[in-house]
Amino acid sequence: MGRRIDHGRKRGTEQKAPRKVALVANCLLNQNAKVCQGAHYPGLVSPVVEVLRKRGYVLQQLPCPELAFAGVRRWWAVYEQYDTPAYRTHCRRLAQAIAPLIEGYLRRGDEVILIGLDGSPSTGVRFTSSKPDWGGRPNRPEDDWEIQPRRGIWVEELEAELARRGLPPLPATGWALDMGRFDEAGARRDLEQFLDSRETTEGSRDGGKVAQ
Amino acid sequence: MSGDARGWRMALVPDALINPTEQARTALPDVLGVLEASGYGVLQLPPKGGHGLLLAVIADQVAEYAHHGYAVVAVGVRGEPGEGLHWRRLAPLLRHRGVALPPRYLVCPEVDAVAEGQRFATFLAGYDLPAEEQRRWRV
Repeated sequence: MGRRIDHGRKRGTEQKAPRKVALVANCLLNQNAKVCQGAHYPGLVSPVVEVLRKRGYVLQQLPCPELAFAGVRRWWAVYEQYDTPAYRTHCRRLAQAIAPLIEGYLRRGDEVILIGLDGSPSTGVRFTSSKPDWGGRPNRPEDDWEIQPRRGIWVEELEAELARRGLPPLPATGWALDMGRFDEAGARRDLEQFLDSRETTEGSRDGGKVAQ
Repeated sequence: MSGDARGWRMALVPDALINPTEQARTALPDVLGVLEASGYGVLQLPPKGGHGLLLAVIADQVAEYAHHGYAVVAVGVRGEPGEGLHWRRLAPLLRHRGVALPPRYLVCPEVDAVAEGQRFATFLAGYDLPAEEQRRWRV
């Protein structure tokens, strides 16, 4: 469960206290990034921000890959539609833009977690949306996509970039906003359980100071 | 846009205001709280340092918003290098993408935090695109 890579500290070098850092999906701080009819809040997703801040997390917003690629007026899409070389190249560029910050957190000994957006074709962590036959004229009558237990494209590419830099996998979960029917209380409970499990894990590891 | 709760307004916000140090926290209004209460989304700017590629990515996003009926403001903090906004590098990136520079608000740590929070909320409430632009895009 190594998430801290401060083993390279020089003896006697003054270090600031390690922090808890939450990498959050772009739209958790800005619902304007959502696809049309996908925004559940005017701006910030308040319960996510409240839960993380209450527990002392530093917030680090990730870029939104879909907005910069397909625009604010993009169609709804599923994993298979975004699974193209061009979109993956775009995601890799974004990953290269944010990875130095993430690497900096990890190198100074911070605990870093990732909060994605479950059900999203890009930012899903535990689940993504799938429908291999989506395409062509956008005339799907109702929500007929399926939820599959896998990462979204952006999270896959971000994790690959971090691995290329020799960084450990991050503990991650998703806020279940894009799973069909949105249940805020359930999503909040889920997030709190994930964070509770982190605190238990950290507390049982020699004060949670160094793990690698 | 039926069934959609987006607020159509957002702010570029320095890391120093999103994640203030313990010491700074007592001197600053709760910027995230005010933005949330005002219905604004956040575009987080990185802490001081290079971040050239990340600033370009952020400029791409601002351009997309600005060209499609969204209102964008920038919130700086007095006392931070470049007011925390990376303005010297961000401004040309925005201009290059055909974006008019967003109106700026400077949070002042040296004044009463409650009064400053109210002043900030008033600024946010008072800003939006002209009604004609709103009608064009926000259907």
